[in-house]
Amino acid sequence: MKILLITEQREGKWNGVSFETLAAAQQIVQHTKGSLTGVVVGKGVAPLADQLAAYQIDEVLLVENDLLDRYTPDGYSLALRQVIESVKPDLVLLPHTYQVRDFAPKLAASMNKGMIGDCIDYRYDNGKLIFVRQMFQGRTSADVVFTAEGPWVASFQASAFRADLVTKHASGKAPVKSVAVELKPEQIRTKPLELFREAKQAVDLTSAPILVSVGRGIKAPENIALAEKLAKAMHGEICASRPICDEGWLPMDRQIGSSGQTVAPKLYLALGISGAIQHVVGMKGSRTIAAINKDQNAPIFEIADYGIVGDLFEIVPALIEEFEKTA
Amino acid sequence: MAIEREQLEADVLIVGAGPGGLACALHLANLFEKHAAANKTPALSAENIYVLEKGREVGAHQLSGAIMDPRALRELVPDFEKTAPLDTPVTSDAVYYFTEGESYKFPITPPPLQNHGNYVVSVSKLVKWLGGLVEKKGINLFTQFAGREPIYARDGIAGVITEDKGVDKNGKPKDNFTPGYELRAKVTVLAEGARGSLTKEMVNKLRLDGLNPQIYGIGIKELWDVQPGRIETGFVAHSLGWPLTSDLYGGGWIYGMQNNRVSVGMVVALEYKNPLFDPHEAFQKFKTHPTVKKILEGGKLVRYGAKTVPYGGWYSMPRNFVDGGLIIGDSASVLNSQRLKGIHTAIKTGMLAAETIYEALCKGDTSAETLSAYQKKVDESWVKKELWEVRNFHQAFHAGLVPGLVQSGLQFVTGGRGLVDPMRSEPGYMDYKKRNRSAHLVDQSLRYKGDGKLTFDRLTDVYHSGTRHEEDQPCHLIVLEPNICIDRCIREYGNPCQYFCPAAVYEMVTEKGAPKLKINASNCVHCKTCDIADPYQIINWVPPEGGGGPNYEGM
Repeated sequence: MKILLITEQREGKWNGVSFETLAAAQQIVQHTKGSLTGVVVGKGVAPLADQLAAYQIDEVLLVENDLLDRYTPDGYSLALRQVIESVKPDLVLLPHTYQVRDFAPKLAASMNKGMIGDCIDYRYDNGKLIFVRQMFQGRTSADVVFTAEGPWVASFQASAFRADLVTKHASGKAPVKSVAVELKPEQIRTKPLELFREAKQAVDLTSAPILVSVGRGIKAPENIALAEKLAKAMHGEICASRPICDEGWLPMDRQIGSSGQTVAPKLYLALGISGAIQHVVGMKGSRTIAAINKDQNAPIFEIADYGIVGDLFEIVPALIEEFEKTA
Repeated sequence: MAIEREQLEADVLIVGAGPGGLACALHLANLFEKHAAANKTPALSAENIYVLEKGREVGAHQLSGAIMDPRALRELVPDFEKTAPLDTPVTSDAVYYFTEGESYKFPITPPPLQNHGNYVVSVSKLVKWLGGLVEKKGINLFTQFAGREPIYARDGIAGVITEDKGVDKNGKPKDNFTPGYELRAKVTVLAEGARGSLTKEMVNKLRLDGLNPQIYGIGIKELWDVQPGRIETGFVAHSLGWPLTSDLYGGGWIYGMQNNRVSVGMVVALEYKNPLFDPHEAFQKFKTHPTVKKILEGGKLVRYGAKTVPYGGWYSMPRNFVDGGLIIGDSASVLNSQRLKGIHTAIKTGMLAAETIYEALCKGDTSAETLSAYQKKVDESWVKKELWEVRNFHQAFHAGLVPGLVQSGLQFVTGGRGLVDPMRSEPGYMDYKKRNRSAHLVDQSLRYKGDGKLTFDRLTDVYHSGTRHEEDQPCHLIVLEPNICIDRCIREYGNPCQYFCPAAVYEMVTEKGAPKLKINASNCVHCKTCDIADPYQIINWVPPEGGGGPNYEGM
């Protein structure tokens, strides 16, 4: 079986799953007594092609083009289709990465071929290559086979194979061959911008020493700002009971309680929280609990160390003033 | 955008791993084994039987009293007494009539409520055990997957599509989005229990309704650990009367189980006049009756749950066979409402369905005509005999407790015929009396709170149901015309959803000065009461993302 392995790199650095898939490809080649060709795609990635050539592989194809500098689904699928059509492999293997998920179905469909994605294993049974993939969230594994003519396209899940089991090249190095592909700028419909990492301010409520928590008593989304101001003045984080997050007044990762997070800060200040058991189980371990609520019978007062029966819209501004004074 | 779904094909797909669905699976696997041992064709494998269960694990959504008549289980697993988790045999029974503060014991327990030879069980534990037997046979049992929509073909069903996973509140796919599977099967068995969402859809679409519409009761249950010596293990008691008024059909129960555990609960028919009747509150009051209180006092609430019960019986049975499909158990209305038992009939109809399916697979024909053998088998079995004798039982009580007792007495001596046969009935929601008042909201802070020891508010009880749902998913309680809630219902009925729901899911709130329906879907215990009891029939209960819902361990 003639196998084409498509590796993945970004900015000249390997995506390590490529070597797991290389290990899988090497094993399949052994079973099927075939040949293995590796592909490195990008621009200025010749050093990577050289590195790949040091492994047990028959040939490495270096596919470089200005339009492949940055990943685009159009560029990659058009280029790889040309490579596949010239090499004519029986099987195209890819690591199941986010990028592969993005372009591989398109690549397969452009050739009118099916794809078996996200495989966790393969079996070689009576001359037949069977792919194994999980279904029902891993509760069962299905055997999947290609029934149509090749080239077949398949991808392997990360950690399905061990990268440390790859074998080095027996006689030093495999030949590296440059392959030219034809791409026109107008064929690339997406314009990649600068790479960035999502600057998500991960809130770690569990390590915050002071939490100001809001409940239904806050009444309207515009009043959240008041509680946030208090939290800031106290150098604490803001969090909430379920109804507030359910309404979308605060993000869900700030929800405390049985269906949210469990916290145990030094000080937990509950504003307008009645104290339903669902909320209490998420914060009852707090060292000091203070509560402000209009209803003196609210269950929150049963677990509060300090309580104020009153209108939070009067008390909170006063608290803010005091905290800002001492700051 | 049309979603591309993965397809799987099975011989048999069973939706719902309750007593009926699992009995069907297990009996089929047994038949397949005999078939294979006799070297018959076609080849049939238990691996080609799929069972879907929306609960976190098998048994998680199982709730019942429960007293089980072991008749069917003995047929399914002849030596069940050796391995099944039966809590205790019934040792003595009693029926009471309650007034506020007093109780009168019936001098003899009426025959339908005599339970000698029966077992008090946790249906959740029993079903978990059955699930183990089913998995040992190599059957594919998929928990945390719900049947979301039927695949129609011929004049029937060809399988189901499971729910999409990883969809956010607004219906947008999240990072973990996984489209539902398209599961196709030669025969699909709907074993969803009371008011199954697929069964409801299919019965409507294919016009399979029985003579009467289905009538439901709501059962609310708590499990308690009480102080030693309060109740004898194996003692089962049922009550009529207080706190229910004589126009309400229902009653309470209290069963003594092993290790000082007590099952206490109440069922009330969802056909009452006062739209503000609160079944949960009635149950809480029931626990304050001296007869009940003296057992529970000083004990601890362990678990809470609620579920609907199909009362309709024989005359509410839908047509139970279509091309490629069968309906069994509670979904098929085979509960005996006089004996308040349905586990045995669910198991039996599951087995009869299995026999029918086995014959159909051998014949290579799963048309409605071939599958109609199921109805014949039911007709010839003890299920029909048992249900036929009580075919008018529940209907007789529609006019109230006293006329009901008189008529059911007559039915008892005439083999079920009584005064009128068949007695017809209407859906329960039609009984509500309109209130026609101004459109203002009732202050919900005045609702029943309980004392926190013997009695509880709904939120505290919901907490004890172990209910959990992924919060960021589309609401699984679909209100088809939300304007009705604030334009009409508020005036005509006072939004009964706030009262009949035993899990505090529905709440009328004020937003910017206007009333609004707020749905706390993550509290839902999957009892389906809202789908049944809504006066405008605009609430459609659909399964949420698989794995969500209560955790009825031990219930």
